[in-house]
Amino acid sequence: MTRMKLKQLNLQNFRNYEKLTIHFNKNINIFIGNNAQGKTTLLESIYFLAISKSHKTYRDKELIKFGSLFSKIACELIKDDSKIKLEIIISPQGKKVLINEIEKRKISEYIGTFNVVIFAPEDLEIVKGDPANRRKFIDVEIGQISPIYIYHLNQYNRILKQRNEYLKQVVNNRIDYNYLDIVTKQLANHGSWITQSRNLFIQKLNKYANNLHQYISNFVEHLTITYYSNYALETNEITPEAIFSLYRNNYQRDLIKGNTQLGIQRDDMHFLVNGINVSDFGSQGQQRTTALAIKLSLIEFIKNETHYYPIVLLDDVLSELDDVRQTQLLNSISDKVQTFVTTTNLSGINDELIKAADVFLIDNAMILKREGDSNG
Amino acid sequence: MHYPEAISKLIESMSKLPGVGPKTAERLAFYIANKMKEEDVINFAKALISAKRDLMECTICGNITDKNPCPICQDKTRDRTIIAVVEENKDLIAMEKMKEYRGKYHVLNGVISPINGIGPQDINIPSLIERLKDDEIKEVILATNTTIEGESTAMYIAKLLEKTDIRVTRIARGLPVGGGLEYADEVTLLRAIEGRREIK
Repeated sequence: MTRMKLKQLNLQNFRNYEKLTIHFNKNINIFIGNNAQGKTTLLESIYFLAISKSHKTYRDKELIKFGSLFSKIACELIKDDSKIKLEIIISPQGKKVLINEIEKRKISEYIGTFNVVIFAPEDLEIVKGDPANRRKFIDVEIGQISPIYIYHLNQYNRILKQRNEYLKQVVNNRIDYNYLDIVTKQLANHGSWITQSRNLFIQKLNKYANNLHQYISNFVEHLTITYYSNYALETNEITPEAIFSLYRNNYQRDLIKGNTQLGIQRDDMHFLVNGINVSDFGSQGQQRTTALAIKLSLIEFIKNETHYYPIVLLDDVLSELDDVRQTQLLNSISDKVQTFVTTTNLSGINDELIKAADVFLIDNAMILKREGDSNG
Repeated sequence: MHYPEAISKLIESMSKLPGVGPKTAERLAFYIANKMKEEDVINFAKALISAKRDLMECTICGNITDKNPCPICQDKTRDRTIIAVVEENKDLIAMEKMKEYRGKYHVLNGVISPINGIGPQDINIPSLIERLKDDEIKEVILATNTTIEGESTAMYIAKLLEKTDIRVTRIARGLPVGGGLEYADEVTLLRAIEGRREIK
């Protein structure tokens, strides 16, 4: 049987937590407390252990408790029958990631051991926000299951930076086409790989999200997710050679603009509900349903790619969902997915869920009370 | 607080070294002033001056040397037909430790990197091309690092030599010797598969 469980979480100098150890025995764990007590921080630390990034900020330094030199988070996982210890140390100089006490020099060697799906109020931005939000979503989720994707993406971004700098610096009559060809070829190699990988991911996501969306919307709405590849605007052939010649045809444009106009940095995805772009024309309710369907479909996607259900983090979203959506969410989770929930109060949350859960009362970065522990 | 002038000058000098921040510079400066024997300090100072005055870049290969041309370029027993192109002096030293390579070198002293304002003309590429006009040279081994910039630089040089008869090779990438597959990360494995060789 393939199972993944988070058994223990340790925080040291992480945001407002000085020192904390929690053990988890149940599938469903609810963190309850008033605002600004540190509920979301617990989910953030779990997310960080999986992705090595925060879902709240891109500045790791913000996570270090004020006045501390470093922050340390660790967890113990059970995967099938083996214990895995993950650890991240964040300091102003950078971060160190360890699996079973062994430091991993590359983040791509670390990510993928522990998969999570987070549901947070920010999810709406994937649907409503600008394309950068959607690209970040794609990159994080493919990255969770494919270290090679992270490698290609990092290489692409580095080359793009060099190429843009070159385009900016170059004086018109002294263009070194030899060098431009080389960085362009490198860009085309990684760019075409990433495009194919994004295309495949969105196809799979579309399949899962489609079914879930129909169910949540009571079979009146139909969701289609399409990939909007920047290369695909100009060619149907996504091969390194075709992309390279596409770039070459646009050298003049790039040189005039002093910037690389073409590439995966301009990609986007579209969400169509009954044929209408929900990002621009959908109602608030349709946008919420879409965001939920996308996130739910990730659970199935990760399960299919890795054979393990991811751990699900619900940050302040449960009480905002109506009955149908809550039921759908709970069905997807049922007893197979370990889930961590934050909420300010238990009213509006499904009774069955509460019955099956361990409830932790969080107050001023401390756990005051633990309920329902008797049969854990 | 104010340092004595000698100390602040020393700190300023130390800070110019790579990897030395203000704290380390301060510690080193006070160590030199308080703890080091006068004799050692004098030797240190002499070594510093000699490193600058007596050393130069070899006009042929770019290697740091006290004789121009450098001992490797002068060595008649080495194979003149092969040149290994490396980024830095320390890469040449690493190659020499192997004790197997008997060809010559060309030290680029950097890589092409527009972000750092370094173009092809700013490293020892022109002198390499000049050197390769010599008919004796049959092969160029591109031994730059496997970073993005090392890769671009290697490809750049290869392109320049496209129309010559010189054989151009790139050092292999992949699994470390004695390393098991299970310990290699995915990217290294990918490289190893891409660079696979036929043995039959």
